[in-house]
Amino acid sequence: MDDLAANRIEVKGLTMAYGGDVVLDALNLPIPAGRITVLAGPNGCGKSTLLRAIRRLHAPQSGQILLDAEDITRLGSKALGRRIGLLPQSPSAPLDMNVEELVRLGRYPHQAMLQPWSPQDDEAVSRAMAGTGVEALRRRRIGSLSGGQLQRAWIAMVLAQDTDVICLDEPVNHLDMAHQLDCLELVARLNRDEGKTIVLVLHDLNLAARYADNLVFVASGRIREAGNPELLMRADLIAEVFNTDAHIITDPIHGRPMCIPFRKG
Amino acid sequence: MSIAVTAPRYRSLVMPRSAIYGLLLALLALAWLASMTLGYRLYGLDQVWAALFANDGTEAATVIAGLRLPRALIAPLAGAALGVAGAMVQTLSRNRIASPDTLGLNAGASLAVVVATIVFGVQSLVGLSLAAAFGALATAVVVFGVAAGAGGLSPLKIVLVGVTFASLAHAAVEILLTSNEAQLQQLLFWLSGAFVDRPISLFFNGLPVVLVGAAIAFALASSLDAAQADDSTAAGLGVPLAAVRGAAFVSVSLLTGAAVSMAGPVAFVGLVVPHMARRLVGLQHRHQLTAAALTGAIYTTLADVAARFVIYPVEAPVGAITAVVGAIALLVLLRRRLA
Amino acid sequence: MTYMTYRPARAGIGPIGVTALVAAIFVLLFLAGIGFGSTWIPLEHVAHVLFGGGDKTERLVVLQLRLPRVAAAAIAGGAIAFAGYLLQRITRNELASPGVLGVVDGAALGVVLFMAIFSNETNSLIVSVAWQPLAAALGAISAIGLVFLLSGQQASTAIRLLLFGIAVAAVCKALTTIFMLVGPIYQASQAARWLAGAVNTINVTEIQLMLLVLVPTGIVAAIAARHLPPADLDDTSSRSIGLNLPAYRILIFFLAALLTAGAVAFAGGVSFIGLLAPHMARLLVGRARAAGIAVSILLGAIILIGADLLIRVAFAPTEVPAGTVTALIGAPYFLYLLMRKDKNNG
Repeated sequence: MDDLAANRIEVKGLTMAYGGDVVLDALNLPIPAGRITVLAGPNGCGKSTLLRAIRRLHAPQSGQILLDAEDITRLGSKALGRRIGLLPQSPSAPLDMNVEELVRLGRYPHQAMLQPWSPQDDEAVSRAMAGTGVEALRRRRIGSLSGGQLQRAWIAMVLAQDTDVICLDEPVNHLDMAHQLDCLELVARLNRDEGKTIVLVLHDLNLAARYADNLVFVASGRIREAGNPELLMRADLIAEVFNTDAHIITDPIHGRPMCIPFRKG
Repeated sequence: MSIAVTAPRYRSLVMPRSAIYGLLLALLALAWLASMTLGYRLYGLDQVWAALFANDGTEAATVIAGLRLPRALIAPLAGAALGVAGAMVQTLSRNRIASPDTLGLNAGASLAVVVATIVFGVQSLVGLSLAAAFGALATAVVVFGVAAGAGGLSPLKIVLVGVTFASLAHAAVEILLTSNEAQLQQLLFWLSGAFVDRPISLFFNGLPVVLVGAAIAFALASSLDAAQADDSTAAGLGVPLAAVRGAAFVSVSLLTGAAVSMAGPVAFVGLVVPHMARRLVGLQHRHQLTAAALTGAIYTTLADVAARFVIYPVEAPVGAITAVVGAIALLVLLRRRLA
Repeated sequence: MTYMTYRPARAGIGPIGVTALVAAIFVLLFLAGIGFGSTWIPLEHVAHVLFGGGDKTERLVVLQLRLPRVAAAAIAGGAIAFAGYLLQRITRNELASPGVLGVVDGAALGVVLFMAIFSNETNSLIVSVAWQPLAAALGAISAIGLVFLLSGQQASTAIRLLLFGIAVAAVCKALTTIFMLVGPIYQASQAARWLAGAVNTINVTEIQLMLLVLVPTGIVAAIAARHLPPADLDDTSSRSIGLNLPAYRILIFFLAALLTAGAVAFAGGVSFIGLLAPHMARLLVGRARAAGIAVSILLGAIILIGADLLIRVAFAPTEVPAGTVTALIGAPYFLYLLMRKDKNNG
């Protein structure tokens, strides 16, 4: 990992609890600027909660989250919405909303109450739709879109927010192989071409290893380890975190580590 | 996203919005004129003009100014109020068959008015309007609370809760009314909606309440847009959901309360009108609310005119007409699984 | 899909015992309902009169003034409760009842149309009032038929079906309001009262008519009820054991509509009894069928007699409609059902 990259976001000593259960336990995590950080871990490890906490959807019991060295609790919700965008798991909107209306939602944090729509807003929406290739679909109702098209429309919405940081919570879970690739390639391009800081939660460890600059293993509400995928994709670590034996090979096409999980015996 | 997709691919009307608004305004003007001229007796436009601006005390002028004018003003105002309230309710509850009456708000408002009159002896129009608004607000809180607390807000279930609550409120109103024969006559119109035989003071009394409610609604327009998405997305965009919902509740209560205090509970207006509005101008609330106001006004005015002719020469209660139309609309919505 | 959890009958009493107990309560309440009035007639005297004895004044009061009303309440309540039982079993939907499936409002519309069409200028009926229950029946059957026609495949989903019923009921209610104005005026205010459920204006002839309609229907229904499918058997499985479910279903709806219409035609709209009584019966005797039917009917009678009695006691001299009182009890109970987290919800 590039030690010279500044940390866009710093999570310090974050503890989150629901009811009596501690979900995140005094967690520390720096998130480097302009890189793709992927959070991976077994079910229930707290990775989604961590992502949502970064976007301040939940208030922590203790700890601090810094955005560009500033405590995020100091920012208003719209102000924070202009800095960090979040695409949650299973987002939903009325089926008869059309793509353009959906993407326009992304401009909400930029709108003052009495001066609703400006040319910048129009431009941002157009750029977002062009960037995700949904321009041709702008009048289509989202209920009539395929899974892949719909996900691109949602990403367009987050793009229209024009944030430096984009968080995506399991964005490819329900997509088929081709669309998974399309979606993640799109995200990678946003990072490459526009320098956006990306924080992803991914279920599929191999996809995580392929796309991450900074791979983070989350286990039981704590960071088990974070760093280069090469460093983390080790059989012993995977066995410990994911409770699965794995054989590690190198992906012949992308040159990234790949794991093949198996059961002994 | 689990509902079967039967919604068509594109919005039906592809006229520019300005043309649509122009059309609606023209329709509203026509509807208003119809309301002034048509009825048990037909009057000409010249008589209307004379009655409004040069009242010479003739029978025609008296009828037009004294009877036709109040209802021609109250009907569109109530319709607009219910239309806007309905659009907000449908957005807030993410439920296309929700409306101020299917959620029991109208009935709660009626009950509050009856209680205020009988138990607390409130006489002033302002007091009754406030009572109605309070009743609508209290009902909204209760119904949303009950439906939310019990296993989640299934859209169908919340409507069932609302309708049941409405029947409960109606039963309570009936008991109160039949136990107070003296006030029965004057309060009978709280049991069903009607624009006829209302003093024009009700219009002037309701107007400021509707304007305040509408102002709040339009101020919330972009927040309501974002609130159409799921909670996480909306919160991620920076929408202060709790505050927006609270303000919207207040707006809905003011609008519903004003409509009920002017015309009693007029059924299903807030259910049907938002669907029409969305079909015309799309989902952005700036436009949805405007179209809902215009469409609502046209709808109730035309219903009021129809009420005069459906069983001519007797006048049918306008609430019955809107109920028939609205219930059929509800059936269509359920059939097409749009809810 | 099961629609109710199994509840074993009370330990130690068994369904028969419970039925006997409820029947006893019914008898007591029946006598008390007759006994109560401007002068209280002791229960033994009432029984005496009913069996042929008693002095002249008492006979007059009991048989002419009080019995019709209480008997009508009993018959109507029992009939609607039975209809509710049938509907809940056949739709496997514990929220179903004649009230929410539009049956009552359809019956009301039938009666009001009958009054409107068959009255002359002097505001009196030109055909015998004996035809009124037929009009009610036609209205009720049309309404419930419409609900099931429209809901089609969606009928099995608990809440969706009810919404169809509510919409159809709303149309019927609105049309009723309109036609009340078309018909003779005095009938309109009468109709308004009656629609809310009033047994106080009933006379002996009407009771005889009611019985004429309801007793045969009840018997047929009781026989048909033997084939009510076990609650957890779906359509295909039912067919495989020889039961033609669609046809049978239509028959049951028809019978339920008749029972409701017969009751409503004379006693007005008391809808929530059809929901409450079968539920309470199930709480008391579980899934036992014969006892379930008997106890439902008895409880329906008890509830309506009780409501009527309550009105006479608490609200005298105002005649608050019985339907209002039952709604005040029934509606909160219905809300409670909706709030419960079980498989019916959602």
